[in-house]
Amino acid sequence: MGSLELTQGVVNAILLSGTLALVAIGFSIVWGILNIINIAHGAFIMLGAYVTYWLFTLFGIDPFLSIPLSMITLFIVGYVIQRYLINLVIRAPLLVTFLLTFALEIVIINLATFFWKGDLRSVTPAYSGAGFTIGAVQIPYVRLGAFAISLLLTGLLHVFLTYTKTGNAIRATGMDIDAARLQGVKIAQSYALTFALGSALAGAAGSLISISFPIDPTMGGAYTLRAFLICVLGGLGSIPGVMLGALLYAFIEVFSGIYAPGLKDAIALFVLVFVLIVRPTGIAGKAFYH
Amino acid sequence: MKKSGELQNSPQAASKKVARQKVLLGLVGAFVVLLAVLPLFASGFWMRTLTLLFLLAAMAEGWNFIGGYTGYAAFGNVAFFGIGAYGTALSMLRLHFPFFLALLVGAAAAMLFAVLVGLPVLRLKGHYFAIATVALATGVGEVADFWTDFTGGAAGLTLPFFHPIQLSNYFFYYIAFVLVLFGLGLTYFIMKRKLGYSWLAIREDEDAAKMMGINTTWSKVVAFALSALMAGLAGGIYAYWNTFVLAEEVFKIEYTLQMILATVLGGPGTVFGPFIGAFIYYILITLLVFFLPVGQLHATILGLIIILVMVFTPQGVMDFLSGRKRLTLSALLENIRTHKV
Repeated sequence: MGSLELTQGVVNAILLSGTLALVAIGFSIVWGILNIINIAHGAFIMLGAYVTYWLFTLFGIDPFLSIPLSMITLFIVGYVIQRYLINLVIRAPLLVTFLLTFALEIVIINLATFFWKGDLRSVTPAYSGAGFTIGAVQIPYVRLGAFAISLLLTGLLHVFLTYTKTGNAIRATGMDIDAARLQGVKIAQSYALTFALGSALAGAAGSLISISFPIDPTMGGAYTLRAFLICVLGGLGSIPGVMLGALLYAFIEVFSGIYAPGLKDAIALFVLVFVLIVRPTGIAGKAFYH
Repeated sequence: MKKSGELQNSPQAASKKVARQKVLLGLVGAFVVLLAVLPLFASGFWMRTLTLLFLLAAMAEGWNFIGGYTGYAAFGNVAFFGIGAYGTALSMLRLHFPFFLALLVGAAAAMLFAVLVGLPVLRLKGHYFAIATVALATGVGEVADFWTDFTGGAAGLTLPFFHPIQLSNYFFYYIAFVLVLFGLGLTYFIMKRKLGYSWLAIREDEDAAKMMGINTTWSKVVAFALSALMAGLAGGIYAYWNTFVLAEEVFKIEYTLQMILATVLGGPGTVFGPFIGAFIYYILITLLVFFLPVGQLHATILGLIIILVMVFTPQGVMDFLSGRKRLTLSALLENIRTHKV
């Protein structure tokens, strides 16, 4: 393996880390604020990917332009699910909420397979193969675009949580639910908004993934696991932590793909269990959305 | 999961409770006798359905040890089912062991895996434990799929048929039935002993249990290994019954969900809960499939049942059957009342 392959691997990992950060950030805020592991997160990513796919296939809408639509769709889906289902049992023991989102995932994937079939599909705009080269390192436009949009959305989320009243209310809910209520925060509303926000980000991630990779109804499970792994690596509850975790994980994934193809998933799972056991609070330690 | 209001102080209430428990025990006894003589009347279809149901009930009884009594949300128990299936199949094919010896080898392999994995993983709590078990089950399934030289990979393993073939239905019905009874007996036996009380203590407050001098690590690993024993035996029986073992079939995450659902439907942390829950689940599924043209939407039905159970009766039906609670609308809404925001 030469230095060219190494440089290309580094570039690929950095580009991938953007999308992965977006995959994990929605999962992270839901976990951090609501204390729910949303197993259906990957199914939301899949739905976002299909929104982009159908808009492109049926109406020829550019995949990058469909991102806001996919976010709005998933925002509504997430809001309804949280407000009228998960909120009913949110303070029940962990097994209940865990099993509930697990069941949601099964239902969504099963319905998607039923209506859209299990075939692999891909979104192929005219520029999908194009890119530019620096030296001998190739940079496809779609990957670079996905990276830029991921950073933009992550930045917007940070601004929203830090500088808006609603964002502050969400953070307050995550810190101390009783204190937040005393300050006039409507908890049910705040939870539903957080979950909706997490789902919308999953939708955006799905749209970006559909531009670079083939999609099918079962694609989401692997992303739920990745999102969890990234949160564990980076530590729960901070945006920079998630970005660091995504970068670390992207390097693990890209380089285990180069050196040991076929064992990619096994290595990722091993890293997960290892990190959980050695450092359960994550590499970046504990922080909380500031 | 804490239960409150279980202690009823007045003597009338106590004697009523005992009487009620006797009735319940009598009903279960009559039911067991009915199941024991059923093959004399039932068709092959019903015997096969009940065999599947027994295997699920046995796995649910196993999950109950770790998930119900010890309170650890294990989401990877299908790994033990799969290892039991592969262990049994490989011992029969490669080592030419007779079925019962092979079954023990498969179950022992599942238990060994549970101990090795349990020692590090059972140190985790809550979500971390749950996801780690999901990841491990997925990982084991992938290894079984890719390790073609050893497991046959995507081609699967084909086992010999049971001989004589006319008795095959009876053989698997009774062996699965005995496994369920073994699980019930094992649960009852353990829960009368120190080990059982240590599980309950860990579930209610693990730190306090440790303070009381309970070796919590040992207790948890034993609970995990016993749940692996039940699932491993079920997997081995399934492998020989099905005469075919394939990784994507025996490591299906739906099996984990089914055993958890059966336990939760019946009543986690009760002796008969998983057994009763498995029946309720099968009756529900059979009725729904019968009356609705669901076809490919089987998984959606499973998901919807889980959602309804989680919202309305996450403590299972045992509370109602044993007379601890009365089945009223307000009892069904109690979960929402106490856990909503």
